[in-house]
Amino acid sequence: MSHHGGHRRRQPRDNFDRHEYNETPEQKLRKNIIHYGEVDPVQELPRLAAQIFEHVPANVPIVSEGFRIGVTEQPFKIPYYAALLRLLHDRPATEGASTSLGRQILEDFWKGFQAFLDKQAWRETRLCVQFFAHLTVARVISPPSLYELLKSFAAVFNEFSVSHTRASKAGLCIAEGLVIAGSVIKDDPALDISEIVNGLRTYIESTHEAKTLVQPITQLHSTKPSLEHAEEWLDCALAALQTLSASDFAQTADSVPQPYLESPPISDAAFDLPNVLVPPEVELDTESGGDAQVKKEEWPQCYIRLFDDDVTPDPTAPAGFMLRSNILDVVDIFEVNRKDCARLLLEYPKWTLPGTFKARPGAPPSPVVEGKNWDLDNTLIETILGACFVLPESTHKAIYYIALITELARSSPISIGPAVGKSIRKLYALLSDGLDVEVAHRFEEWFAVHMSNFSFSWPWKEWIPDLTLVSQHPKRVFMRRAIEYEIRLSYYDRILRIVPDDMAEPEAQVMPDQAPGAEFEYEEPGNPYYEPAQSVLNLLRGRAKPEDVMAHLEIVRNQLSETVEGDVNIDSLLRSIAVQSLLSIGSRSFSHFLNAIERYLPLLRNLAAGQISDNGPPHAEARTDIMSAVATVWRRSRHMILIVFDKLMQYQIVDPTDLVAWTFAHCPAVTSGQPKSTFNAFQWDLLKSALDKANGRVMVARRKVAALRREADDKAARAIAGESMEVDTEDKPDVVPAGESEQLTSALKASTVLTREQKSALARTLEGFAEFLAAESASPKVAEVITEHAWHNRANWEDDDWETWETWGWYRHWGRTYSPYLRNYIKTLEHLAASKVPVDQGDPVQTLFRRTWNIAVGHQEV
Amino acid sequence: MAHIVTPLDQPSNYKDSQSRVDRSTQNELLSRTSTLYVGNLSFYTTEEQIYELFSKCTTPEDGGGIKRIIMGLDRNTRTPCGFCFVEYYSHAEALACLRYISGTKLDERIIRCDLDLGYRDGRQFGRGKSGGQVRDEHRDDYDPGRGGWGAQAQRAEIERKREMEVRYHDSQDVPGAVAGGGGDWKEAEHTSEKTLKRARSPEDEGDSGRGEPRPKVEEHDVGRM
Repeated sequence: MSHHGGHRRRQPRDNFDRHEYNETPEQKLRKNIIHYGEVDPVQELPRLAAQIFEHVPANVPIVSEGFRIGVTEQPFKIPYYAALLRLLHDRPATEGASTSLGRQILEDFWKGFQAFLDKQAWRETRLCVQFFAHLTVARVISPPSLYELLKSFAAVFNEFSVSHTRASKAGLCIAEGLVIAGSVIKDDPALDISEIVNGLRTYIESTHEAKTLVQPITQLHSTKPSLEHAEEWLDCALAALQTLSASDFAQTADSVPQPYLESPPISDAAFDLPNVLVPPEVELDTESGGDAQVKKEEWPQCYIRLFDDDVTPDPTAPAGFMLRSNILDVVDIFEVNRKDCARLLLEYPKWTLPGTFKARPGAPPSPVVEGKNWDLDNTLIETILGACFVLPESTHKAIYYIALITELARSSPISIGPAVGKSIRKLYALLSDGLDVEVAHRFEEWFAVHMSNFSFSWPWKEWIPDLTLVSQHPKRVFMRRAIEYEIRLSYYDRILRIVPDDMAEPEAQVMPDQAPGAEFEYEEPGNPYYEPAQSVLNLLRGRAKPEDVMAHLEIVRNQLSETVEGDVNIDSLLRSIAVQSLLSIGSRSFSHFLNAIERYLPLLRNLAAGQISDNGPPHAEARTDIMSAVATVWRRSRHMILIVFDKLMQYQIVDPTDLVAWTFAHCPAVTSGQPKSTFNAFQWDLLKSALDKANGRVMVARRKVAALRREADDKAARAIAGESMEVDTEDKPDVVPAGESEQLTSALKASTVLTREQKSALARTLEGFAEFLAAESASPKVAEVITEHAWHNRANWEDDDWETWETWGWYRHWGRTYSPYLRNYIKTLEHLAASKVPVDQGDPVQTLFRRTWNIAVGHQEV
Repeated sequence: MAHIVTPLDQPSNYKDSQSRVDRSTQNELLSRTSTLYVGNLSFYTTEEQIYELFSKCTTPEDGGGIKRIIMGLDRNTRTPCGFCFVEYYSHAEALACLRYISGTKLDERIIRCDLDLGYRDGRQFGRGKSGGQVRDEHRDDYDPGRGGWGAQAQRAEIERKREMEVRYHDSQDVPGAVAGGGGDWKEAEHTSEKTLKRARSPEDEGDSGRGEPRPKVEEHDVGRM
């Protein structure tokens, strides 16, 4: 094949859309199967079936691979793939063969399914189950064998202490399988659907407690999940199933496309799916390093609901459940390419039953269908936001969902724009009704990033009437923070131009009164410490050597101690002058700041040890002073406070635990001018940055240990292998190192130190929340805001009521977010909690504090 | 899931035209790099704006984060010329930017991100004849966000421009002029009395690349810029 000489065969993972000239006929066939239906799924069916039949020699693995990729990566096509496979049962695999081509493909496909199941690739497994369920309705697969398959998934519910991740994934396989194929399974009197459904229901009932901690609407007074404006995904699955079963599965044809019903029953006997066992969960061994992963247990998945059932499909109804399942899968699968994801989502209606969605502008009208004709744009935005707002954290980073909505709005501005606007208004309205603090936080982030992609155009003036609400009302907090985030992404004057005059006034507390910037406390000549501060500043400006600055600071210290009168802590004052001066010379940009602190790291280290020219052990008060100096200089830019603290931790000037302590004890006083025992979103950002730093370090250290261990093992193995090959040579010195290498010893030591630091940061957090919420010294508001009566009276709440309510919200979020870490140190932490929180069984505050904790760490309520 | 669509985080045809390592080594380095080249920035976009957007792709709980940002400057005027490098602690974070940030707006301009071999001294300066980016010299379109006459139409832009003109005047092109951003956690040794001898210099900090192998390329000829 000389004409192919210059080309290399494409790598299998390469995109085969390009360079078609390079394709083999097999690759082309596979591509046609994967890209089937782009124009008209129904029309293309017989044509593609004929093409597969006519491909000589018949290549079952290639066709089966096409099906496997098609089914697991394009869930919206599954019913049509089932129809295609049904058609492939009409002819034998080869002339005179006893089995049909379709049968052989299905046998091969099954092997792929088994591989997904063994890898616990749950999404792929579930999509294959959907495919099998459709094939069962198409009479290609026997109903009893599908029933047995679903029963093997149900067996998971009976496993001892099954994880929620595993149980919910298995539950969804069951539910989707039954929604699609229940109508044929129930025809066999020997098969009892209710047995499987009951298993699912019993399991779901055991998860009610956990739901109260992850529902997007907070109800502190209630111990039962109240899923107002939200639905839990497994609940939806069960509800859809029960609705179907109540009507004897008559609604199935109305809920999923069944293009295969056109074909007559096959002549072969139906295929019996082999028996399977869901393989046991793979245990992550965190101690030996393994992959050093933290095992994140999945929580019940609560999706926020923004629109009524006549606008977007009800996820608890069979049709709505399957539509949303498809959309969620597409969002998940195409995370690698948000642009294609947006395109596929906008094209989704063509794969649904006619009349499912209202026709879009410019398209031919769709048939009117009672209870359907939903709005695609609202459905997409609601579903994507639902996924973005899942608590405690979304599957992908929030920025993915944000970027996906941006792509949708760019592709279809006329229709998606209004859907985005309506969603923003609904979410904004929910802020008054208990929208979870973290959901509100993500909402602010989405709002700012989205607007930054669309010229910041938002009709702010419609929210002017809300300026009469108290300053800490969630709606006003939202406005303030959304603006703050917009300014971070843009600049002050730009955002000033887009807010109406009423909001631009400083009294409105929406816009800050000036652009973010650094403020050096000792800048004014009138300041009593102006001169010493200037002298330090000038040295730093002149890039003096660190030791010269230290020497000068010693002199300043002596001078101050002689001249300063009254109750002034000279050391604190000096630290404040030094750190503020350093930040001042580094205030022009992030890089300037990095340059400044890298140049004076020795000085900073000494200051953090409570010294000037000498180093020493960490000094808590000194570190507090350093952080307070940072927050003072950057009090008009919370963004910079976060950035600087992150680097102070990175350079080990302060430890995560220091930052946690500062966040609880000093942050409000420095940033808002008055000490408070409440916790807000900015404090959360600080806390998260500290805890993530501590956790990240442990992760890096464990990975290092694991890598060194592997290296040592390999070395030992090689040495042993080498020895056995060289038995003839004379005695050699010992090549196998006895014990561990020096590197490994120090890596293990680092891991121990960092693990201790992680524990201490978590413990300090628990202590902080206990002090604010449950200790005897806590404010009486803490008890007030959690009562049902107070909640219904929230229209009359003052600032401190809302601040206290928010504090409870962040405590809840901390528990559910860091739950996998908290579980590791449960004994220490509970011991600590017991010493902080008085035990009084009847006290509602302590009960709520403990219940939240128990849910977070997975204790069952007794 | 690369069968149906092409992932956005595949390396593009962007390259460092002055890199002297061969193509396959470059590809190898790119498959591990934690540095991004970010292009099509407004000349007035600040590092903090960049930080805000690019921090949305960080994974601090996994040891990640933004290590440093290096603003691209006009060689002659020492003013930003529309590009920068964002260096993370991990490769995965750089990839996430290709998927979620590249092609979206920052400061109302659609920016592009590409994997980069890693910053070396001197690369912060534009390589065009005029001192700015080569790419910009091929442009003849009018561009208000980049110092075109449009800036005069808006007072705010003038203020931003003025701030930007002075911000980087002190930038130097000597080795070590660009901060490292902080490396791996190290056990503190606070037992000794004197710190000066032990103190790490900023250069040392910059070179400890958190297990991410830094590209081994030949010394850059600083004077040649």
